[in-house]
Amino acid sequence: MNLLSHYKYVFQMQFLRNAGFFVFMILIQILISIGIVIGFTYLIPDPDATTILFLATGAPTIILIFTGLVILPQQVGTAKTDGYMEFMRTWPVNRGVILGADTTIWLIITMPGIIISSVIAHFMFNPGYDISWTIVPALLMIALTSIGVGYGFSYLLSPTTSLAISQIVVFGALMFSPVNFPMERLPEWLQTLHEVLPIYSMAEVMRASLAASTFEATAGNYITLLIWCVLGYGGAIFILNKK
Amino acid sequence: MTLDVKSVTKVFTGRRNSKMVANDNISLRIQEGEIFGLLGQNGAGKTTLVNQILGLITPDCGDITLLGESVLGSPARARSICSVQPQSQVPLGFLTPKQAVTLMGKMRAGKKFDPKRVEMLFEELDMGEWANKEGEKLSGGAKRLTAFCMAVIAPGKLVILDEPTNDVDPVRRRYLWQVIRNLTNDGTSVILVTHNVLEAEKAVDRVAIIHKGKILKQGTPSEVKSSVSNQMRMELSLASESELELPNWALSSHKNGSRFIFAMNPKDVSQTIEWAKGHVDTGLIMDYSLSPTTIEDAYIELTSKKAVGL
Repeated sequence: MNLLSHYKYVFQMQFLRNAGFFVFMILIQILISIGIVIGFTYLIPDPDATTILFLATGAPTIILIFTGLVILPQQVGTAKTDGYMEFMRTWPVNRGVILGADTTIWLIITMPGIIISSVIAHFMFNPGYDISWTIVPALLMIALTSIGVGYGFSYLLSPTTSLAISQIVVFGALMFSPVNFPMERLPEWLQTLHEVLPIYSMAEVMRASLAASTFEATAGNYITLLIWCVLGYGGAIFILNKK
Repeated sequence: MTLDVKSVTKVFTGRRNSKMVANDNISLRIQEGEIFGLLGQNGAGKTTLVNQILGLITPDCGDITLLGESVLGSPARARSICSVQPQSQVPLGFLTPKQAVTLMGKMRAGKKFDPKRVEMLFEELDMGEWANKEGEKLSGGAKRLTAFCMAVIAPGKLVILDEPTNDVDPVRRRYLWQVIRNLTNDGTSVILVTHNVLEAEKAVDRVAIIHKGKILKQGTPSEVKSSVSNQMRMELSLASESELELPNWALSSHKNGSRFIFAMNPKDVSQTIEWAKGHVDTGLIMDYSLSPTTIEDAYIELTSKKAVGL
C-alpha cells in the first residue's frame, strides 16, 4: 500500500467527518475577511489609499492566522479530549500522511475567504492590488507556517493551554501586530518581538505578493517563516510519533 | 504463534517522581485463531498492555513479538497487523457508519478491500437502519457497533477489542459474539479487554486475570475457575427465619436473613437436590438455586482476596 492511497483515504475520512463544520467555517472565514476590509474603514474615518491597501492586503494574512493558530488548535483540543487523537494513532498509516491530509483540508477552507474578500475589496476600494506570480508560493508558505505552528503548539500543550494561547493570538494578531498597519506604529519592544515571531513576516510576504509595486519582503522574512514552519511541523510529528 | 509478550514491565513516572507500575513482568502468548480475554478492574493495566502491543508506548523492559518480529523495531508494522476498537467511543462526526467502515477498510486492505463485507457485517449485526445516518445522530450502541465494524472490516492477524459490548443491546450482543467467533475461523486472533466477566466466560478460549499490573492467573476459563475452588453452591430462600438443619455434606454455610447459602462438592449435587425438594414439599424452603463457581467468583476472589458469598 503506498503513501498516496493512504493519503486519499485519510483525507476522505477527515474531510467527511467534519464536512458540516468545514462548510460553516468557510462561511465564517468569508465574513471575517470582508469584515476586516469593510469594518476597519468605519473605525478609521477618511482612510487614505495606503491605509486601505494595508487593510486589503492584511485580511488574507488574518484569515490564515485565524485558521492555523485559532480554529485548528481548538479542533485539535477537541480531538484530544474526545479520544479521536488516540484513535488516529492506531491507524495503519504513516503519521505524516495524517498531518498532510489535515493540512490540505485547512488550506482548502481558507481559500474562499481570501479570494472573495480580495475581489470585494478590489471592486469597492480599488486599493491598488498588483498581484505578482509569487502569490502562490507565498500563500502556501504563510499557510503552512500558520498551520504548522498551530499543530506544533496544540499537539505539544494541553487543550486548556493551547486554547488560552489561541485566544491571545486572536486579539494580538488583530490589534497588536503589524498586519493591518505599518510596523513603525508599534512601540520598540513590540517591534523587536515581531522580528522574531512569525506574524510580521507572514504579513510582509503577503503584501509583497498582493501589491508587488508598493511593498517588498526581505529574505529575512522568508527565512523566519521557514524556521517557524519547520519547528511547527517538526513538533507535531514528534508528538504524533512519541511513545 | 500470533503474539508473544515476554516479561513486559512498564512504569510511569508521575509528578514529583512518583512511580506507577502499570505492567509488572507480564508474559502471555496468543495462538492463531484464539480468543483471549484480558480481565481486570479499572486501572489494572489492561490498556497499557494493549498500547504496548500496538507500539504506541515502549516497554521499560521485556519484549513483544507479533508474528515472530519485535514490535519495538517496527511499530508501523504492528499497527498494520493489529486493528483496534478503542474503549472510548469513536467520535464519528458527520461520517455515516457505512462511510466510516468503508474508509477504514480501504485504509487497511487497499485494493483488496471488498465492499460486500461492509454489507455483510451490517446485516449480521442488524445495523441496516443506521448505515446511512450521520454518526452524530446515532445512539451509543450504534456508535459502538460502528467502531466494532471499523476494527473488524479488514482484520489483519490480531484484533483488539476494548469493551466491545458496552452500550449494545442484548440481542445484538449475541450477533456480535457470533461475528467475533467467525473472525477466528480465518485465523485471526482476538484480544478481548473487559471487566464484564460473565459475558467473557462464554466467549473466550483462554483468559488472563490482570490485577495491579500483574497477571494473577491465566488459562482456559475452567482452569482459572478450578484454581480457586471446584465447589458448587446452593442458595436457598427460607419460608421463615426458622432454623434449618443442613445436610451433613455441606462444607461451609452462610445465613443472611432468609437467604441461606452453602457449598458442597460436585459429587453431592444429586442428593442435595433431593434434600432441597423434600424441604420445598414440607414448606420450609420457598425456592432454591444451584450453581457452579462462576469465573466471576474466581475473578473477585483472586482480585479482592475475599471469599465470595460463602
